[in-house]
Amino acid sequence: MNASLAGMLAIGAGFLLVLFLCALAVERGLIGTRITRHPVVYTLALGVYASAWAIHGSMEMASTSGYAYLAYYLGVAGAFLLAPVLLVPIQRMVRTHQLASLADLFAFRFRSRWVGTLITLVSLLAVLPLLALQVQTMGDAIYLMTGAASPSLLALAFCAVIALFAMLFGARRRHVDGHHDSLLAVIALSSLIKLVAMLSLGAFALFVVFDGPADLQAWIDGPGQAFQTEVEQPDPAHWRTLLLLFFAASLLMPHIFHITFTETHSRHTLLQASWSLPLFLLLIALPVPLILWAGQSLGAQEQLPSAYLAFALSDAPWVQALAFIAGLAATSATMVMIALALAGMVLNHVLLVAHPPEAQLDLYRWLLWLRRALVGAVVLGGWLFYRTVSVHHDLSTLALATFVGMAQCLPGLLALLYWPGANRKGMVAGLAVGLLVWLLGLWGPLLTGLPPLLLVPPGLEGLTGEPAWYVVTLVSLAGNALVFILVSLATPTSEGERAAAEACSVDAVIRPKRLPLEATNGEEFKEHLARALGEEVAHREVNRALDDLGLSPLDGRPYALRRLRDRLQANLSGLMGPSVAQDIVDRHLPYRHDVPGATDDIHFVESRLEAYRSRLTGLARELDGLRRYHRRTLTRLPIGLCAFGEDGELLMWNDALAALSGIDGASVIGARRDSLPAPWGELLGRILAEPQSQLYKQPVTLDGGVRYLSLHKAELAGDDSDPGGLVVLVEDHSEMKWLEDELVHAARLASIGQLAAGVAHEIGNPITGISSLAQNLRYDTEDPEILETAEQIQQLTDRVSRIVSSLVGFAHGGRHLGGQHFAPVSLAEVTDEAIHLIHLARSGDDIAFENRCPGTPQVHGDAQRLLQVMVNLLGNARDASAPGDRVVIEATPEEAGLRLTVTDEGHGLDERVRDHLFEPFTTTKPPGEGTGLGLPLVYSIVAEHHGQIDIDSPPPGQERGTRISLWLPLNPQEGETPR
Amino acid sequence: MYVYRILLFLVLGGYLLSPLMMSGWASPGVAWYKPFLIWGVLIALTLWLEQKRKLDER
Repeated sequence: MNASLAGMLAIGAGFLLVLFLCALAVERGLIGTRITRHPVVYTLALGVYASAWAIHGSMEMASTSGYAYLAYYLGVAGAFLLAPVLLVPIQRMVRTHQLASLADLFAFRFRSRWVGTLITLVSLLAVLPLLALQVQTMGDAIYLMTGAASPSLLALAFCAVIALFAMLFGARRRHVDGHHDSLLAVIALSSLIKLVAMLSLGAFALFVVFDGPADLQAWIDGPGQAFQTEVEQPDPAHWRTLLLLFFAASLLMPHIFHITFTETHSRHTLLQASWSLPLFLLLIALPVPLILWAGQSLGAQEQLPSAYLAFALSDAPWVQALAFIAGLAATSATMVMIALALAGMVLNHVLLVAHPPEAQLDLYRWLLWLRRALVGAVVLGGWLFYRTVSVHHDLSTLALATFVGMAQCLPGLLALLYWPGANRKGMVAGLAVGLLVWLLGLWGPLLTGLPPLLLVPPGLEGLTGEPAWYVVTLVSLAGNALVFILVSLATPTSEGERAAAEACSVDAVIRPKRLPLEATNGEEFKEHLARALGEEVAHREVNRALDDLGLSPLDGRPYALRRLRDRLQANLSGLMGPSVAQDIVDRHLPYRHDVPGATDDIHFVESRLEAYRSRLTGLARELDGLRRYHRRTLTRLPIGLCAFGEDGELLMWNDALAALSGIDGASVIGARRDSLPAPWGELLGRILAEPQSQLYKQPVTLDGGVRYLSLHKAELAGDDSDPGGLVVLVEDHSEMKWLEDELVHAARLASIGQLAAGVAHEIGNPITGISSLAQNLRYDTEDPEILETAEQIQQLTDRVSRIVSSLVGFAHGGRHLGGQHFAPVSLAEVTDEAIHLIHLARSGDDIAFENRCPGTPQVHGDAQRLLQVMVNLLGNARDASAPGDRVVIEATPEEAGLRLTVTDEGHGLDERVRDHLFEPFTTTKPPGEGTGLGLPLVYSIVAEHHGQIDIDSPPPGQERGTRISLWLPLNPQEGETPR
Repeated sequence: MYVYRILLFLVLGGYLLSPLMMSGWASPGVAWYKPFLIWGVLIALTLWLEQKRKLDER
């Protein structure tokens, strides 16, 4: 090799600089989240799985075992193919409970901090060889290319830069649960670089070393056969075991777990990776045999270990640089992610468990620096393992030691998902057996250099002579699973563990209990938590949880407080791990157990079912469809409905009740009855307290008006297993009440009308007599005074006759024979007279009436009837006005008539009443003050005059008040024909 | 749900039958890219199933 050390260092430094710049660009927002959170970026980040083993180890394996090297890629591809049934449930758990690692998940499921500690220690021991493998490939590559005397020191410098990078961009935030966009982007960039480098090397091998695919095939079938015969085809059992190991690795390796579950943005992204990650792995795996065969055809296998044949493809510096960069990209990304993932696990499950945090002044800072120190320690540990142990072993031995070790967690993970009966004792016992076999058979020999101590149980002597990794994998996993099952079946499971098992299980029906908390609102949460976390951290965490849930700090609903507690526990879990978080929350935010009748949290169960609907299948989906139908029936019932649990907590508030009350269901569900806004708390309390099951037409003030509500209640308690409580129906009977009142009013008016008709008939006869006598008098005397008196008597009797005629007309349904009294009428005079009459009532003195009507032109009509119209309109305007207001009457010519407007500055008209104003018995006045006949009569009279009437409330350009606008035809003598 | 069953069938079937396929890949005269071709077809099938699953969930 002829590469210079300086050149290699420059390439390494340049590559790391690119990563730094990329991270900085994302941190500073120069690269938008549309790019950084794109599913392709996520898939590329998952490509961290293709570590240095994928670049160099696969080459080594391909040279000895042929296509068996594909097991590394196909195992993980199989796991991602099963994403909907395997990965998505884990993702749901991790996101719901803010779990950041495999240890968090196990500690949460098995309800033990020591389980988390055990998983962390297993991960540390198992991952060290893989970490050392990364450093070793780096050291080997530098040594092989440059012949440097001290590659381990150069590798140490490389480790230091990697650790610094991980501290800067991975351990920067205080919460580990948040997405590290910059970190994810850098890992994705590394994957992209190694993919491009590998594809370029593959293309170089295929088209430059060989002369295209046909030439390659000819070499394989010809001279290459010599190499092919050296390849030892793996036994089918070995192949399947390898597949199983790599399948498990994709779920259990700390760095893969971190990217797959903690950094995932959505379920959709994960599902997309089910095909995109296998595609990425296919592209990475494809160049491996091409490079190997090209190296073999060049005879380079004699000079270089097969793992590094890429460096022998050509003496061209750029080809060697590509080979170096492919390894460097894979190594750096893997080391960063392993360091971060392991640091988080050690912090949460070793350090914080050994020394729980106290109410420190700056808890966040303390945790941050601890995490950073651990990142450095993990990377240093990897280098030390490389320096002392791994240099004596090949890549396959190191990688298999790691994968077999991590696979010991597989029985626990599968039980966590699919076996709620599994318990902590079984898991720990099984894991201990598996670990013992692994430590004696693989890890111990790796460390000591002694031959493996294989524990082969009686009956499996056939395994003797098989490779150590194969024997250890079979025996450890079988023993692990068997002991796990037997111990779990033989020992009792605690209640907490059972609840956690239900929360984790794929088909679990989670039925949390509805217990009240001792703290009664968000502010009290802060006080209670401050004892454990310190005041500042408690404030920040509670505010964060409140923001997440969109709740107010003063929200005292028991349902909201339970959600707040769950969210706080999840958030603290992201900060300090589930064990410590649960301990803090249990201690400082306890439930009250003195309240009897705690039942299932139906509303919470429903909201969870709604969220998981698409995941239900078969009978469960059918039943959920039925549930949704019943739920929808109740929600959309056109009658108000609410339901209370046995403890008085509101469980349902349907749409009709929300519309009637103006209170959104989401803001009151989960509240206690007595904390509902007025008047609902008192009203519903009344029906709940009443022995009878109905309350009719209860007057309630809503939106400033009185409404009449009828309430009916029914007990929900069924047999013992059903939750109890009450359902209350709320019917709005206001319309019916008003109709009833109007009916009574109309009946009273009808009797008055009949009376008036009778009186009019009785008055009519004597008036006719008086009129006749007055007419006779004119023939009997020549005395001008008597004649004038007779004339006046006749005029007055005419007027009385017309009034009587109107009364009769009203009594006969308001019909009036119009036309015979029509004459030119001056609206100015009619208005003056109406104002005069209004003032006679002595109740409108403080209202200023302004008559702006011109004397001409005149309208064609009955002056008496129009006077009645004006009196009614001005009377209404007066009643609506406040003292000091003005009422303006104007008349303007419009088309063939006059537009008369009466504008007041009063309180205006209710929208609901405005559309019914011209209907009889509609009034805005208090009962007894208005008959509801005034405007219908006005309408009737205007119609007789072939006119029109309109109402504006408020009038255009005014903030309040009402304008009644009449259009009346002009007198025909004014030159126009009335319409 | 049937999509999930197909996936399970694919993975388990592939797991059990893959040693048979692998022994064939190393035989002389077999195109070197055959394993990758089969893999590519499997990826295409997964992509198609993913689209079916999306439609199924709508």
